[in-house]
Amino acid sequence: METENRSFSPDQMMETLQLAAQIIMESGGETFRAEETVCRMGAGFGLQQVESFAVPSGLFISYRTADGRLETSVRRVHPRRTDLTKVNQVNGISRQAAAGRLSAEEALQQLKALDMLRKTPAGFGALGAAAVCAAGFCFLFRGNWPEALLAAAIAALVQGIRLFSERIHGHGIISNILGGLLTAFLPALAAGWIPELMTEAVVAGALMPLVPGVAMANAVQDSLRGDMFSGLSHGAQALLTACLIAGGALLSPPLLRLLKGGGL
Amino acid sequence: MISFSDVLRYLLGSFFGTIGFAWLTRVPKRAWLPSGIIAAVVYMIYWLLPQAGVSESMAVFLGSLFGSLAGHVCARRMHMINTVFLMSAIVPVVPGLGLYRMMAYLGQGQTALGADQGVRAMIIIAMTALGLVMGGFAERLIHRDGGSH
Repeated sequence: METENRSFSPDQMMETLQLAAQIIMESGGETFRAEETVCRMGAGFGLQQVESFAVPSGLFISYRTADGRLETSVRRVHPRRTDLTKVNQVNGISRQAAAGRLSAEEALQQLKALDMLRKTPAGFGALGAAAVCAAGFCFLFRGNWPEALLAAAIAALVQGIRLFSERIHGHGIISNILGGLLTAFLPALAAGWIPELMTEAVVAGALMPLVPGVAMANAVQDSLRGDMFSGLSHGAQALLTACLIAGGALLSPPLLRLLKGGGL
Repeated sequence: MISFSDVLRYLLGSFFGTIGFAWLTRVPKRAWLPSGIIAAVVYMIYWLLPQAGVSESMAVFLGSLFGSLAGHVCARRMHMINTVFLMSAIVPVVPGLGLYRMMAYLGQGQTALGADQGVRAMIIIAMTALGLVMGGFAERLIHRDGGSH
């Protein structure tokens, strides 16, 4: 396998390592996983002194080539939609490469194919997923069928807005605030027509798809590995998302008062 | 008082809610069922232990500790990344209702009640993180190879 990799230029080798780490980080993987993937794949390709340093917004890779030159690269990372299947697939490719069962060329081909898949926009599946999630948690918060159906509809609507915002390259801040606002406002509005509606079960259920669960898990995982910088960064991201959603939800009561003819 | 309908509601609610969340974050399909089962057990621990006199914060800690350990075991057995299972352990104990109540009270100007709900929610979040961390440490002690599943 090492003989096969020798025909691969240092630039192509670097591209393989960069792409693997980039897909992991852009799809919601942890920074320690991106670093470990680079080091394991590099060692599997027969590279010497492979070093990697990743932060949530970028990554640095360096290694020494067979003729003793030091190759270094920097790549900016822009987090996109969470896709843990992709993170898992890159992890699988890196394991095969580390075990010597995959050449650098084959790994690059597979990673490029994955990257193309990653760029396809999310379909209606995301709306269904948000609806199932909201309905399930609405039951958990003691809601019944009407509450669960309303929570599912609101969660699907909010998810649709987030996807639309993603397609027009809108800022995540706006879609989070709008998501929080609609999630709190629509059930309160519906309660005006259906007095027996358990508003808090609907709101809490519909809020669950917006929970930054992956960022929370990553904050714990990175901190646990001693990478406090990435841990704190992911923790801050989760906190900021939660605050934006809460801020949006807090806009709901004054908006409702305004609709009913009262003041802000 | 524990009723069968409540057990069924919490089991199914946490199971399907977590599967929906897994679908949303594009967790591999073969991990959906174990993720849902882990989430349901975590929520049962969180709900049942306080009925036996255990404090809510300790119940959250024990629930997420179980979730963390079960998640690491599943990740190793199924050769998958552990994040998919750890997230499932967290999601059902996220204090969604507590956070909503906090926002509702703050929106109504009832600051003291809002702060009370907020502090309770923060304790639950902290104990969840502690459970995950302790589970991670235990797993690393058992498997010292440092593999990143």
